[in-house]
Amino acid sequence: MAKSSKASKVRKARKAPAASAKPSAASDPAIAATPTLVSSQAQGKADSGQPEKLEPVLDWMNKTRQWGMRVKPGKAGLRLGDLNVGIYGEIPMQWSDQSRNPRGAVPRKGMPPVGYSVREKVGMWADSAADLYEEAIQRRWAPATDVPWNTIDKLPDDIERAICQVCTELSQFANVEIETIAGWQHQMVYGYHEVKQYLATASFDAAKHYECFRKRALVNGGGLGVEGPGQVNRMILESSGGWSATVAYLVLVRAVFTMTILKYLARHAYNDAERFIYEHVLQDKARLLTYGLDHLHFAVAHDDEQPAVLATVLAIGDRVLTRDLRDPALREALAIIFGRGIRGARRQGMETYEEMMADFMQTHLGYCRWLGIARAPAEAMPPPLNRHAGASVAA
Amino acid sequence: MSEAVDTSGEHELDLGWMDEKGPWNTKAEESRYGLTLADIQIGEYGETPDVSDNLTGRPRGSAPRPGSYRIGNYAVRTKNEIWLDNASFLYEEALQRQWSSATDVPWHTIEPLPDDIEQAECQLATFFTEVEFVAGDVPARWVSETTPDFFEARQVLLAQVMDESRHMDVFRKRAMANGGGLMQATGATSGFVGSIDLSRDFTEMSSRLHLSGEGAVLTMFRMGELMAQNEAEKAMYRLCAQDEARHVAFGVMHMRYMSAAAPERREEIHCYLDEAEGQIVSGVGNPAARGGPVGESLAILLGGGKDKFDEGMNMLTAIRRRQFREYKKRIVSAGFGERFENGRSRLMEMFEEAA
Amino acid sequence: MAKFPSVRWFDAVREVFNGDESVQGGGGGYCNCVAGMKVGKDIFVLTFEGVECTDAVKADDAALDDVDFYLDMPPADWREMIANIHTNNGADRHHTLNTLDLEREDGLATSHHGDQYREDLFFRYNQTFQYFFNASARIRTDF
Repeated sequence: MAKSSKASKVRKARKAPAASAKPSAASDPAIAATPTLVSSQAQGKADSGQPEKLEPVLDWMNKTRQWGMRVKPGKAGLRLGDLNVGIYGEIPMQWSDQSRNPRGAVPRKGMPPVGYSVREKVGMWADSAADLYEEAIQRRWAPATDVPWNTIDKLPDDIERAICQVCTELSQFANVEIETIAGWQHQMVYGYHEVKQYLATASFDAAKHYECFRKRALVNGGGLGVEGPGQVNRMILESSGGWSATVAYLVLVRAVFTMTILKYLARHAYNDAERFIYEHVLQDKARLLTYGLDHLHFAVAHDDEQPAVLATVLAIGDRVLTRDLRDPALREALAIIFGRGIRGARRQGMETYEEMMADFMQTHLGYCRWLGIARAPAEAMPPPLNRHAGASVAA
Repeated sequence: MSEAVDTSGEHELDLGWMDEKGPWNTKAEESRYGLTLADIQIGEYGETPDVSDNLTGRPRGSAPRPGSYRIGNYAVRTKNEIWLDNASFLYEEALQRQWSSATDVPWHTIEPLPDDIEQAECQLATFFTEVEFVAGDVPARWVSETTPDFFEARQVLLAQVMDESRHMDVFRKRAMANGGGLMQATGATSGFVGSIDLSRDFTEMSSRLHLSGEGAVLTMFRMGELMAQNEAEKAMYRLCAQDEARHVAFGVMHMRYMSAAAPERREEIHCYLDEAEGQIVSGVGNPAARGGPVGESLAILLGGGKDKFDEGMNMLTAIRRRQFREYKKRIVSAGFGERFENGRSRLMEMFEEAA
Repeated sequence: MAKFPSVRWFDAVREVFNGDESVQGGGGGYCNCVAGMKVGKDIFVLTFEGVECTDAVKADDAALDDVDFYLDMPPADWREMIANIHTNNGADRHHTLNTLDLEREDGLATSHHGDQYREDLFFRYNQTFQYFFNASARIRTDF
């Protein structure tokens, strides 16, 4: 092949013996005070129109905090968590660096801060984040092509209307998840990149959920219903005091609620397409739940104040959730789906709904107990949560 | 058996909500690529408002609730600020073309390299690890501030956040997979005026991030594939370049839409381009600029070693010319080509100076 | 045995490529574009839709006005690339499409229209095109 001589030289040179430079395992990272952008400006230029021969400075060579890393892929490939070895696996409780200095790299002094508000490990960390990140990538799916849309047949009007209402509200739930996670991601420091990376998958998942519920609503002769009452949406979005409090609302309240709905919907699905959607969204949500529980567990274990703060946060959340639950749209739509029509909704559908809500509360309170977050006794909770919590205790 | 229906124990239903709904009798049909976002843009559900009054975060086309709180903190509510005509297409493409840095890169093909080459590769990997998340952080922030009425564009940006996360991860993996490690950060993405981070307008941000920044990084990824020492690096750079090209496509198409829909903003956008060309594209802000840790690393990798630095630098200069040419053609494609005709752009002049 | 270049050769590669689900993941996937292949004076137009290459036709120079981009190499260089792919069961690192593009003075991928957005499809779908040509390792080629 007629290749350029330059290219041939590249290949020839690659076979040359090793150069002598060897980085030191740095006790002194030799932090440069001058940013790259300035130092490179000092390079000269040609006065004849030809590029001046540039002498390499190479002052960046040998600047490393730890050299000689050779992480090998395992059975599941080369995973993010595999990289946490040596100094690269040291994850401090505080991360004061306000640049995008990768954890373990030699920092550069004098950089204007990016401006992060979540800078402590206790405020965002979860040991499972790296694994959840890889799992999310491996278990990806695409609503356009993976959902067997052709299995959806015409349904009775009341059932179609109910499904469309549920899809409208679930789509809106996903929207809140998107806006919440995306709104926090950029506020988190780089030192805990595993969490930022997992959250990138979580917001991408939520985008998929937003999309697939919308698609289901628009595919079978129906349309979107009425927007949800949005009290819990507001609560999640407005919980700006700290990511942990947001996680309490987004995960302990909303995700557990959504997952319970999805479990019951999967059991009562009318076709394979719906079953596929509910089951796959459920497994995506399960990752969010794992992250949330893991993070809150870490936060509670490392911050004595956190259990009490979260208890207060959730007590406020009970009252807000109660206001959403008073709205009939989601409740009755679910009952219609579970009861296979309006007629069945009045008894069997509502009984299933009540069972579902008890299941939700039991799960929610169980997680709170596991985390050591004190909750009010069932009788002290606002209705209808008191009923569901009571039922769950009885169960 | 009695025919009478036992209604004892039955719950009363309200059912008033059943009359509150968006346009009904909607039946989207699958196309040959499945049921895509484009397929559900039918009837009123496909209509995007020029200015969104949706402050409650309701799904576009759903029936509003008069009592809903205005909880949407949406700075971006004007369509031309964020829209692009092929958002649905780019989103579906992004979903279909995802890959895994753990399993789709043949890491086992990596073998020990000469120290100068390994150091250059690790310096480059450190730089990419550092810069990739600016391209994740910033779009995420804008997603949270954009009304869901323009959700198609948001979906593409969320896919980008995912892509950038994977890029950050794959370069960290590369730095630690072959006897090296991370080196010194460059500080290239800090919060200085005119940076991608600090843009207070989406289009300003997009011009910096998608067109100037990612256009430059796309070329660097392609260089990475060219100078790869093994199949793992080949795959890593090639797959990153694909993603990056999608992000660049977002920028081109958004700018094209903006140019047509808001001609009154054309001069302002030219100013962003002036600034970007002086910094990210042709100036020292270009990571592929001569000199500095990244430029020197590239020269070592392109030349094939520290002792072939000059050859590498010559190749880098040649590739930068192509980078400039591609940038220029993208700006033309985006609808701002007159800057190269009327003498406004000093791109080639600046390039000659920088080279 | 299919002779390169010919519609029959491209059809044979299409059949292998379209029948291999593994190339639809790992960075492959949806690819929607029309790409020209210029082998000296011989011109072919390939249509990619979804995850398949749906069509390959012989064309004339005017057809290159309409393609998103086209790959242009002298016949000897095409032959070397394809032989390399056959020998290594996929392009070695000196014969990938991107490398060939950057090593050539005028590039490998180009267009008549000069619209970089459309030319960028070569980068956006690069892994798919690489998978496509790598699939040629599984057919017998005659030059």
